[in-house]
Amino acid sequence: MPQREHAIHISDLVKVYNSGGTDEVRALDDFSLTVERGHITGLLGPNGAGKSTLLKILTTLLPKTSGSAHIMGFDVEKQALDVRRSICLVLQQNAVEQYLTVEDNFETFGRFHGLSKSERRERGDRVIHAFGLEAERRQKAIDLSGGYKRRVQVAKVFMIDAPVIFLDEATTGMDPINKRATIDAVAEEARRGRTILLTTHLLDEAEELCDSIVFIDKGRKILEGDLFTIKALARNIVDVSVTYETLTPDIRDAVERIPARKREVQHSTVLLTIDSATASPHAVLGTLLDLGPTLAFEVRGATLEDVFMQVLGKEKP
Amino acid sequence: MRAHSPFRNVAAVMYREYKIRITSFTWLFYDLALPAFYLLLFGIGLNTAFTGGVAVGGAVISYNAFFLAGVLSMAGFGIAINTSYGFFVDRDNGIFYEFLTYPMTRGEFLFGKILFSLCITTVQSAITVAIGVAVLRVQISLPLLPLLFLANAVCTAGWFFCLSIFALRIRRNDLYNTVINVAYFVLMFASSIFFPLDNSPAWLKILAGANPLTWHTDILRYLSVGTGEANTVLLQCAAYAVFAVAVFIGGVRALRASA
Repeated sequence: MPQREHAIHISDLVKVYNSGGTDEVRALDDFSLTVERGHITGLLGPNGAGKSTLLKILTTLLPKTSGSAHIMGFDVEKQALDVRRSICLVLQQNAVEQYLTVEDNFETFGRFHGLSKSERRERGDRVIHAFGLEAERRQKAIDLSGGYKRRVQVAKVFMIDAPVIFLDEATTGMDPINKRATIDAVAEEARRGRTILLTTHLLDEAEELCDSIVFIDKGRKILEGDLFTIKALARNIVDVSVTYETLTPDIRDAVERIPARKREVQHSTVLLTIDSATASPHAVLGTLLDLGPTLAFEVRGATLEDVFMQVLGKEKP
Repeated sequence: MRAHSPFRNVAAVMYREYKIRITSFTWLFYDLALPAFYLLLFGIGLNTAFTGGVAVGGAVISYNAFFLAGVLSMAGFGIAINTSYGFFVDRDNGIFYEFLTYPMTRGEFLFGKILFSLCITTVQSAITVAIGVAVLRVQISLPLLPLLFLANAVCTAGWFFCLSIFALRIRRNDLYNTVINVAYFVLMFASSIFFPLDNSPAWLKILAGANPLTWHTDILRYLSVGTGEANTVLLQCAAYAVFAVAVFIGGVRALRASA
C-alpha cells in the first residue's frame, strides 16, 4: 500500500508496447521504487532502458500494462487529475510556446497552474532573473537559440509549488553557467521539501545532486541505493592520473607495461584505472612519478561513472 | 494544492490561443482578414461576370449574395484547419505533451480550444457579413443573424474535431499538409461553396450531396439569404449533427491515444 509520506510509490510496474505482436517490447518489467518526500532521486541507465517510459507513466502521459504507481498517494490512472496537480515536468525535448514571448510563456504557464495575477508577475520576474533571461523577455521563443529555449522550459517549473518535479535530461543543451544555475535551483527546491526524480546521462550531475540513485536497464531496476553505498560497489576501482612536462616515447612504453583495467593518454596526461585488489595505487603512482618530470598528479576513488560501467558490464569508453 | 477549477482551466487554454493569434500577423490574416478578401475579390470579379445573378433552388440572387455563405463556411473550415494544426505544431514543439501533464482534464483542454474557435469564428463571421452588407450590398435576414453565427460556429467545431483526428494521428508534417490540402481542395470544389449545384453533372451532385461542407454551406445560405428548401436544410442539419458527433468521438479517441 502506498503511504501518504511517500512522494512516489511504484509497485511491480509493467509496460509492454505492441502487446501480443511480433514486435512486442517490454519497456518496464516488474519495476518497483519508493521515493521519500524531499529527496532527489537519479534514474540512470543506457538509452532505451525504460527511463522515459517510466516518467511518462508517472506523469499520466502513458497507461501502464500492469502494476501500480502512486504520486503523493494518488493513483496515476484512477486519480490522474490529482496526480497532475501534484507534479511538474521538464521533458527531454524542448517544449516551449514557440509563438509567444518569453514572459508570455511564463504568464500562460502560471495561468494553467492557477497562479494569481500578482503571483504570475512576481514569480515570472523571479525566474527570468534567476535564469538570465532579462534581455530576452520580450523575444518570441521561436527566435531564441536551443539553449535559451531550454532555459525557458526549465525555469517554468520553478514558478509553481507542485510537490513532485520530474526532470528528464533537464540540463541538456545548457551552457555551464546555466547548468550550474539549474543544479543550484534543483538543490534549493529539494531543501524546501520538494521531491525530485531526474534522469540524466551526466553522471557528475547525478553525483552532485542526488540523495539516491537507481540504475535501470532493459526495464528492470538493477541497483538502488544512496550515493555512498552505490559507489562502494566499485570501491576497488581507483583512477591514477599523472601529467608530465613532456610525454616521451619512453614514458609511453613504460606506461603500457603497467597492469591496469584501462589506460588513457591525453596530450601529456596519463590516466590509469586500476583494481586496488590486485595492484597498489600508491605503488602505481610511485612508478608513474619515477618515469619523468611531472606537472601534476591525482589519485581518486570510484565515480558514479565507474559504477555505471561496472553494473552494466562495460568498460569506460 | 490549489482547488481544481474547470472554468479557470478552460480560460487558460483560451488565453493561450488568444495570445498566439493576437501576436501573429499570419494568424490574424488567415483567421480574420482572408475571408473578407475572398468576398471582396469575388465581389468585384465574379459578381460582374454574372450580371444576371445565379439561380439557386428556383430563386435568382446576386453572386455576392450566393457566395457570402460559401465564404463563411470556407472561413470556418480554415479556422478549424488552423486550430487543429495547432495540435500538430504543439506536438512538434513538445509542448503538447507538457500540456497533458498540466492540472486539467483532457476535456477541459479540448473544450477551451473549441470555445476559442467558436469565438473567433463568430468574430470572423461578423466581419465578413458586415463587409457583405456594407460594401457589396448583400441583403441578409437580420432576424436570423444570431442563428447564422451560431450555426457557423457549431459547424466549425465539427470541422475542428474532424481535422484534429488527422492532426493527432498523423506524425509527419509533410504527410499532414498533403492530406489537409487534398481534403481542402476536394471538399471545397465538390460542394456548393463556389457554384450552385442545380445544373451540375449527376456525379458531382452525388459527391457534393454527401459532402458535409455542402451541408454546412447550405445551412448558412438558408440562414443568410434564405435560399433552399426548409426540409432539405433541416435534413442537412441532422446529417451534420451525426457527422459532428462521429468526429467528436473520433477526436477525443485520437487525443487520448496521442500521448
